[in-house]
Amino acid sequence: MENKNEFDVIIIGGGATGAGTARDCAMRGLKVLLLERSDFATGATGRNHGLLHSGARYAVTDPESAAECIKENMILRKVASHCVEENDGLFITLPEDDLAYQSTFITACRKAGINAEAIDPVEARLLEPSVNPDLIGAVRVPDGSVDPFRLTLANLVDAKLHGAVVKTYCEVTSLLMEGNRVTGVEVIDHVRKMKERYHAPVTVNACGIWGHDIAAKIGITVSMFPAKGSLLIFGHRVNSVVLNRCRKPANADILVPGDTICLIGTTSSRVGFDEVDNIRVTPEEVDLLLREGCRLAPELAQVRILRAYAGVRPLVAADNDPSGRNISRGIVLMDHATRDGVEGFMTITGGKLMTYRLMAEWATDLVCKKLQVDQKCRTAEIPLPGSRKVDEKEYRKHFDMKPAKIASTVGRHGDMALNIKSGTPYDDSLVCECENVTVGEVNYAIQELDVHNLTDLRKRTRLGMGTCQGELCACRAAGLLGESMDCSGKAQRELSRFLEERWIGTSPICWGEALREAEYTQWVYGSICDMK
Amino acid sequence: MKLQEKNISENNFEQCIKCTVCTVYCPVVPLNPLYPGPKQAGPDGERLRLKGSDFYDDTLKYCMNCKRCEVACPSNVKIGDIIQHARMEYGRQKPSLRDRVLASTDFMGTMAVPFSPVVNWATSLRPTKAVLDAVMKVDKHREFPNYAKQTFEKWYRKHAEADQDRYLHHLTFFHGCYINYNYPQLGKDFVAVMNALGWGVHLQKGEKCCGVAMISNGLYKKAKKNAQVNVDNFRQSLQENRPVVGCSSTCIFTMRDEYPHVLGIENEEVRNHIDLATRFIYTLLDEGEIQLIFKKDWHRRVAYHTPCHMEKLGWAIYSESLLKLIPGIDFVHLESQCCGIAGTYGFKKENYKVSQGIGAPLFKQIEAAHLDFVSTDCETCKWQIEMSTGVPVKHPVSVLAEALDLEKTYQANNKTR
Amino acid sequence: MKFDTIIIGGGLTGLVCAISLQKRGQRCAVISAGQSALHFSSGSFDLLNCLPDGQPVTDPVEAFEALAPEHPYHKLGGMFEEYAERAKELLSDCGIGVEGSPRRNHYRYTPMGSLKPTWLTFSEFGIVQSVDEVPEGKVLVTNFAGFLDFNTKFIADALAARGADCRIAILNVPGVDRLRKSPTEMRASNIARTLESEETFQDFVEVLKKTAVGYDTVILPAVFGLKSEGIVLRLSAELPQKVQLLPTMPPSVPGIRTQMTLRRVFEQLGGVYILGDTVQAAVIEGTHVKTLYTANHVDFPFKADHVVLATGHFFSGGLVSDMDSVREPVFGCDVDFISDRSQWYGESPFADHRYFRFGVATGEDFRARRDGVPYDNLYAAGSVLSGADSRTEGSGAGVSMLTALRVADLILSAENPVA
Repeated sequence: MENKNEFDVIIIGGGATGAGTARDCAMRGLKVLLLERSDFATGATGRNHGLLHSGARYAVTDPESAAECIKENMILRKVASHCVEENDGLFITLPEDDLAYQSTFITACRKAGINAEAIDPVEARLLEPSVNPDLIGAVRVPDGSVDPFRLTLANLVDAKLHGAVVKTYCEVTSLLMEGNRVTGVEVIDHVRKMKERYHAPVTVNACGIWGHDIAAKIGITVSMFPAKGSLLIFGHRVNSVVLNRCRKPANADILVPGDTICLIGTTSSRVGFDEVDNIRVTPEEVDLLLREGCRLAPELAQVRILRAYAGVRPLVAADNDPSGRNISRGIVLMDHATRDGVEGFMTITGGKLMTYRLMAEWATDLVCKKLQVDQKCRTAEIPLPGSRKVDEKEYRKHFDMKPAKIASTVGRHGDMALNIKSGTPYDDSLVCECENVTVGEVNYAIQELDVHNLTDLRKRTRLGMGTCQGELCACRAAGLLGESMDCSGKAQRELSRFLEERWIGTSPICWGEALREAEYTQWVYGSICDMK
Repeated sequence: MKLQEKNISENNFEQCIKCTVCTVYCPVVPLNPLYPGPKQAGPDGERLRLKGSDFYDDTLKYCMNCKRCEVACPSNVKIGDIIQHARMEYGRQKPSLRDRVLASTDFMGTMAVPFSPVVNWATSLRPTKAVLDAVMKVDKHREFPNYAKQTFEKWYRKHAEADQDRYLHHLTFFHGCYINYNYPQLGKDFVAVMNALGWGVHLQKGEKCCGVAMISNGLYKKAKKNAQVNVDNFRQSLQENRPVVGCSSTCIFTMRDEYPHVLGIENEEVRNHIDLATRFIYTLLDEGEIQLIFKKDWHRRVAYHTPCHMEKLGWAIYSESLLKLIPGIDFVHLESQCCGIAGTYGFKKENYKVSQGIGAPLFKQIEAAHLDFVSTDCETCKWQIEMSTGVPVKHPVSVLAEALDLEKTYQANNKTR
Repeated sequence: MKFDTIIIGGGLTGLVCAISLQKRGQRCAVISAGQSALHFSSGSFDLLNCLPDGQPVTDPVEAFEALAPEHPYHKLGGMFEEYAERAKELLSDCGIGVEGSPRRNHYRYTPMGSLKPTWLTFSEFGIVQSVDEVPEGKVLVTNFAGFLDFNTKFIADALAARGADCRIAILNVPGVDRLRKSPTEMRASNIARTLESEETFQDFVEVLKKTAVGYDTVILPAVFGLKSEGIVLRLSAELPQKVQLLPTMPPSVPGIRTQMTLRRVFEQLGGVYILGDTVQAAVIEGTHVKTLYTANHVDFPFKADHVVLATGHFFSGGLVSDMDSVREPVFGCDVDFISDRSQWYGESPFADHRYFRFGVATGEDFRARRDGVPYDNLYAAGSVLSGADSRTEGSGAGVSMLTALRVADLILSAENPVA
């Protein structure tokens, strides 16, 4: 029997890039192990705009990235349809902006293959009523929204369907070396609380900003540029079309509608590596995001904010740009054999969520080359699980629920929703009332989608991502988790951690209605339940 | 306004902090589990509906629009308005013939009054009820309100109009469909009482049905048209310095609050001049403008029932306070709860059981109180309570007309003339 | 309309104050913007559970002295214990059965199954006098099928860990099961409403009797008696076992019952309770509040000799915050707060956040102030007051009721000054 710890390729990192690489490698017939030190999409993947870039944003400053974006944009609409909302985007010019930039912008877009079309400001206001009515110009582009959690999850699900082994909460502690060759990794499995060694001829470092640390374990320097970006989530969809500013990329100039909310971002500031694991949004960043956001859509000035969050872009440092804004968002694939004389090890980084598939393709091509496997990439053609076409009737038949409830579940899981139990009052009762998450969906996630805690559950179902940020549903979900783990104590500890995680996001914006909500939540869990 | 000074959202849907208090006071939820409840149907659903119309749930039709959720809400979320709005915006079902008939209180009245003896006789017959039940889905247990022999308007033009100019003060009376077609006596009582208080009562030429039944049955276009006519009329009244006063709490509530909130008909300049009879009278009394002189030999045991829209207006206090002023009254306090009829809701076959179930605790309270009669400001509550308990129901204005020594009151209030 | 006292806020504070005044001959009105925080009661009333240094409190009367000097408990004219006793008496007089003493905290159960010290608990609830005490004999923890806001496993596991002999049983009662057709409405209050039907209640008793054979104690979620205690009392009468109710997640059925009972008592005493309305304007002459105008009554004036602000903390809208300030929205009273928002919160949601202690500033006379000048007839009571950290201290109900009674006394003594 084959050794269960022997693989063709080990991929470190459960972000979109790692997940995409795992899928691609698995689809090309390789025996794949993916290792993630916490849950998938915990880093930059889960902490960005969720903007399905048309590439227009980069058209003037970084034409190469722009061209990649629009190509991937069109691919994702096909292969990841359940993760994508085809919302379209507007690049607006405000009185304080230079209207002359518009033509430069349009020319650059067209050159990159992006269908950009100037429209009348009046038409723009009809298309998106929330837009700043002072606008003096507007360009329509094929922007959209993409749900990074769904996208990453679908890649992992498909990787597993193709035989890959995916281990979350498995942290790589060292790279195993034989001579100048990386032959595997040593990990701590945080779930089983044990050490383990895995071996493979090729190891891919797809750890985003943490890739710096992984490479450093064997003395290789991958000079990353940790650029913090903060965002605000508003309580509901204010806009239905993505709003951008038609000027050189700057702070807080994108407002993206995504699922039930919309979000404004980002800021950009350099942070130290010591900060990347504990990053918090500052009051100054909140103020800046709000102020700038109101220029895009004035009503944001009085819309309830749900939370603030920040991520760290895994940019590859190139110069001494203090903001990191002008660094290329281009893909960086490092073969450490040629670069550093270390065989069996590569780093895939840079890039962005939009180009995760292309990054995965590049990385997989190199893996295949090293393993002398001659297989073509098919990830641009074969839809992800969840994005396969299913007749509406099939959903109706499967779910004995009101269409409005089905819409939420199917919206989140696409055709994978057919794996969710339905038809009994128990399965169909709602755990999370803000986002319509049923007991069936929670149990499906717990049993099938590698859920170890309530935050994992949230990312797979949107549970606790609505208006109340978990106030009503967290305890119910903890109950279900407790049953599946057969341990009340652990479930209650996870409940406490979940509320702590939610608080990190709510505390920076906790005033007005959010403060009322927080006081209520803290009364319920702190006083009634006596949690500490 | 400074940044984030206040969080604003349509009908305050995002002021909801998911406390679930509304669900405690929804009369429908425990009796009809098909209804998603005010929280889900209202603010929760609204957030999803902003994403796409496929999140609209047609079971929102089970909402009675009683607004008790709004009264209970500690966050001032206009839950009922959100639901009505969603029905208007996303509802795909066309109103049925039955719904159109129930909604057209004015049209039906115009048609029925000339033939009222025949209509009243026919609607009380078992075969007619069976047909209504089977074909129209109007529940056979329902007793239809009788139609009057002569409309109130006709009576007024013939017997009262000429006399009204001689008073010192003047008001516009919004009689509504019920007084006009079903129960002109209340209109006559109102004229008698107001005249005794020194006020001339005037009707508007083109009064339209307030539209409440049209709203609840999905005839929004027609409701908007009526609303606009009424608001324009009221503006006219205001120019003549005549407040608009009505007896029906539902009509008054609709014209003050549903016009702007649900139908989007602007009424700001006239809103505060649309008044309910009991509030109007009580305010005059509070300001020392009028005197009430009651009969000495009038004794009754009476309870006041707070209609849902009265609860929402917050005005039961005026009707109750007026009744309590009557020396011969033995006043019984009823806990405010829905009677279950909700206008035309309870007439529908699919709602009959729920409707009676909702009212049951109220009926029990009334039956246990051994009353001479119940008093209330809403005509549909009156039908429901009379049908379900057999206890007669009178409007507070009719009670005043009965209990006041009208002659002495008239003299006291018409001296200066 | 003229009243002796108008109380703004119809929750625990407002109603206790109003009942206390109405009982002693005043004519009062309560104006309440929606239903109150009593709807989220734990089933207990806290007086003082914990000192600022984290010390648990066994005897609140002895311990309260250690609270910071600005705490409302220090403004009760030295009658902390007396007011605590009077509060309990008021509840009992209203027909709200509670157990407990201000001299000794007991323990209540939380929905997590843990124990927490408290002052008064509804009589039907399971309580223990010490952390080692467990329910008698064989214990059956039961729940209605599909009710997600009461977790039997949490409770049973916690009881078992403390040495109880515990099993779980799930009950199917047709009249209650009907609610499950709705994916959301299987809530504590709705279950209580279905159980108000005699038929459903009888079915429930039958099902429970069969299930509980051989057990000594039955634990149930507190979903009985939304409007009155009657059904709760019948539970114990119908079953041979000892029946104990435990709190559910909100809404709280016993809390709602308390709200309804207090309101009913107040109205039976002749008080006027105005629900779903907010005070929007006030006529103030000098330091005297003369007339109030509300949203529903528009230009109709409410006059009173005294006005009590019992509007609650942030949750109830008694305090309103924006990005850098906190205000009292009705009268613009002086509020104690910190303007630097980053100081409002602790790192963990369970920290003792400083915003808890924000509130209306008063002296020992409980008179609200504006620009440092006290109003002569506007009093603040309950959680709108500054200086108490009701969650960390566990003093919410105590501050509400004790200050409400104190303010009632102050109003009456202002009416009849002792020569």
